[in-house]
Amino acid sequence: MLELTGLTAGYHGGTVLHGLDLSVPAGTVHAVVGHNGAGKTTLVHTVAGLMRPSAGTVRLDGRDVTGQPAHRTARAGIGLVPQGRRVFAGLTVDEHLRLSYRPPRRGDTTRPSVWTPARVLELLPRLGERRGNRGADLSGGEQQMLALARALLGSPRVLLLDEPTEGLAPVLVRQIDALVTTLAAEGIAVLLVSPSPAQAVACARTLTVLTSGRMTLRLAGDDARADATELHAALELTATGA
Amino acid sequence: MELLDAHLVPAVDGVAFGLLLFVVAAGLSLAFGTAGVLNLSHGTLYAIGAYTGAELSDGTWGGLALGLAAGTAAACVAGAGLSAATAPLARRGHLAQALLTFGLALIGGDLLIQFFGADELPVRVPEVLDSSVTLLGHRYPAYRLCFIVMAVLLAAFGTWVLTRTRMGAAVRAAADDPQMLAATGHSPRAVHTGVLAAAGALAGAAGVLGAPIIGPGPGTSENVLMLSLVVVVLGGLRSLWATFAAAVAVGEVQTLGVSVAPELAPYLLFAAMAAVLVLRSRFAEPAGAGHGSAASGPDPVARLRGRLAGLKRSSVWRDRLPRRNRAPAWLARLPGRAAWWRAAPLLVLLGVLIALPALLDAYSISLAGSALALGLLAVSVTVLTGYAGLPTLGQTAPFAVGAYATANLADAGWTMGPVQIVLSALAAAVFAAVVGPAVIRARGTTVLMITLAIGELTGAVVNQLKSVTGGADGLVGFPATQALWGGEGMLEESELYNYVLVVAVVAVALTLLVLRSPAGKLLTGTRGAEARMRASGHPVGRYLLVAHICAGALAGVGGSLMVTVQQYLSPADVGFEIAAFALLAVVIGGTTSVIGALLGAGLIVATRDWVAGSWPGHGPLLLGVLFVATVYVLPRGLAGLRGGGSGGGGQGGPPSDPTGSPGAPGAPGTSDTPRAEDQPPSAPAPTPAGKASP
Repeated sequence: MLELTGLTAGYHGGTVLHGLDLSVPAGTVHAVVGHNGAGKTTLVHTVAGLMRPSAGTVRLDGRDVTGQPAHRTARAGIGLVPQGRRVFAGLTVDEHLRLSYRPPRRGDTTRPSVWTPARVLELLPRLGERRGNRGADLSGGEQQMLALARALLGSPRVLLLDEPTEGLAPVLVRQIDALVTTLAAEGIAVLLVSPSPAQAVACARTLTVLTSGRMTLRLAGDDARADATELHAALELTATGA
Repeated sequence: MELLDAHLVPAVDGVAFGLLLFVVAAGLSLAFGTAGVLNLSHGTLYAIGAYTGAELSDGTWGGLALGLAAGTAAACVAGAGLSAATAPLARRGHLAQALLTFGLALIGGDLLIQFFGADELPVRVPEVLDSSVTLLGHRYPAYRLCFIVMAVLLAAFGTWVLTRTRMGAAVRAAADDPQMLAATGHSPRAVHTGVLAAAGALAGAAGVLGAPIIGPGPGTSENVLMLSLVVVVLGGLRSLWATFAAAVAVGEVQTLGVSVAPELAPYLLFAAMAAVLVLRSRFAEPAGAGHGSAASGPDPVARLRGRLAGLKRSSVWRDRLPRRNRAPAWLARLPGRAAWWRAAPLLVLLGVLIALPALLDAYSISLAGSALALGLLAVSVTVLTGYAGLPTLGQTAPFAVGAYATANLADAGWTMGPVQIVLSALAAAVFAAVVGPAVIRARGTTVLMITLAIGELTGAVVNQLKSVTGGADGLVGFPATQALWGGEGMLEESELYNYVLVVAVVAVALTLLVLRSPAGKLLTGTRGAEARMRASGHPVGRYLLVAHICAGALAGVGGSLMVTVQQYLSPADVGFEIAAFALLAVVIGGTTSVIGALLGAGLIVATRDWVAGSWPGHGPLLLGVLFVATVYVLPRGLAGLRGGGSGGGGQGGPPSDPTGSPGAPGAPGTSDTPRAEDQPPSAPAPTPAGKASP
């Protein structure tokens, strides 16, 4: 369960994210939709500990992890699949898996599920065929799989997905959608960030529309699937408003 | 076969020497490539190991083992300390690191001499190894063969750790994307500290084992640092095998090269380094090369571009015109109050400089004179480093050209001051024009290395060309300079000082005028947003070349003044130390501040020669303390003291965001490599650095 209250963050002087409240219960997908510059990546980076918020709190299963450095939030159970994949160019797939594999501490039974390299390769068989290849030599889809594998190997409670389908072919997009649903079913809380509503509608239980760093709409995924006009209107409003 | 026979011993020596360099350079490369620390105190880490090893060596295996353990541990701790010292500078660029680590190297060198004495320490290797074996009919020291084996083992172990273990993967990942490494639960800070500690341990181990080859002495640190810098530059940062090959090549040049071609040996090393760098930067930037030829070629696009550039330039002038027309022309020429305020430090400095001869004794006056000469050198470095974005360690080369030109002119009977100045400046400008094309294509630390090679090559020429330069003995006894026609040769210190002051003021005033003119703006634009300048049709390469030539002429004037005031010239006056001091004076001054550079040079000369006069022999220590203190106390240099951040006398340039300062807090510290593509992709800031200054 990830809970954000009044989260405010920005870059030297300018505030990008204004007091966002948001919660992602375990086993569900919460999608944040917004245009470029709405503050989506700032939100993800702040939760992951890559940026310090100027106000507000980040709680993970009730434990306050606000403003902790990234490696601590990662160990606390927040996995990040960043925008642009950002796999290590010089490391092979095998080295990625070995480097990222961090089994939970003995006695820590609160993780939704424990991931080992073998299990990750079972979920993402394509990576098994490219074990000796370096990150830079992979295709975009393979890099996305690798970034996901890297996040999963920390056995996360929360998974942050920042535009996971950016630049991927439609068939891969559907595959990623299916993966997101599978992982949520494992008990992971997934925070999915995306500029297009299509993916969000496909797999989210709750949707939040972010406009210039503020929440402008929140609706249940089922309602959005039944009737997407409200969602589209909110996003269109964004376009004219900006 | 005969050839092989004659050169077998130096060839094997070269392998041993090369392996030693490889172990040292691997640490340097690791620190720079994966922790981003340009460690100029790496040679000192080697010296720590070498001194410890020599001190504990007693001719037994136990002594060697004890020395190895203690020396490695000591250098490892020093490396970890370095990591802590550089942590606050993470976003301040490589020049701040250079200032800090050079200062630490000076302090460390002084402390080592305090502790172990100024003489080279003898090293006693274990008795079994203190003999010679027969190698294809030649006697060869057994220790060196044993060292080759040990160095290979050490290198293999290091390579295995880096390429085969999880720890090594973390190190490589940290070099690639530290944020993502953190996102996998590893602390980049811990990796950083570990890398620097390991680099220190490698240097320390190399020092202990290599002490019988490069022994511990006062010159060890600099020698080892310089050679391993060459190895790292030749080998690049990407591959350990390339570093290995480069190290063996450098080792062979230093041993086999000396025995085969003693005439060429002094040049070979740095000539190879310069060639590799220039070729590499040319391959890396085909766009730049293409642009240069296109702009001068007859094709219509280029002509259109040229015309656009002309429009741009004239519009700069037009912007200035209305402001002048508001009041009568002569009134408008009088500077406003703001201009007076901005010029205040310059005027105060000028007043103090004019009053100096009345206040000081003869020795101090002549020190002040050479400080002014060095100040001009520093100003020329500012023009390149701060304005053109080409951090340089090679301005001592045109400085030397100017200095030797003046000395030779005086020797030939041309003692007229202005003639000497003009001809020296001309000679230096020609020199700068010749080497310029090699410098201006590269950016960032590559420029530093290319210019270092140019400086060292010039130094080698100075040492070899005895008929012109007097070689290592230097030149002395040439007639004194006359300030003006009809005057007599100046011998009094205050006379000389006044002459130097007048010339320096004219030179600085000219520099400021040029920097404040549209030409200065074009340079600033080039440094800040080169791609955009190219895109708007500016022949960036030509601007940089002109800047390089002008800076060369300025350094030549400095060199000429140096000779006039000293009445003596030796290779040490134009050596690496002076080049480093000039660059550090600029960093102390605030990188884009002309007056800051002058003050920085003054501060360095005062510390080295004046303050140290009351504590003889500790000049380096005091300088080191000065450098280290400046890094922490004045993050924006002396220019930062004025608060607003305007660059002292050089307001023609950027009012904010000088190269050495944390102008773009989001971007990790590569501010001496202003190109966006040089920066790691981890910069979270939404605004590119170029937007920072309006």
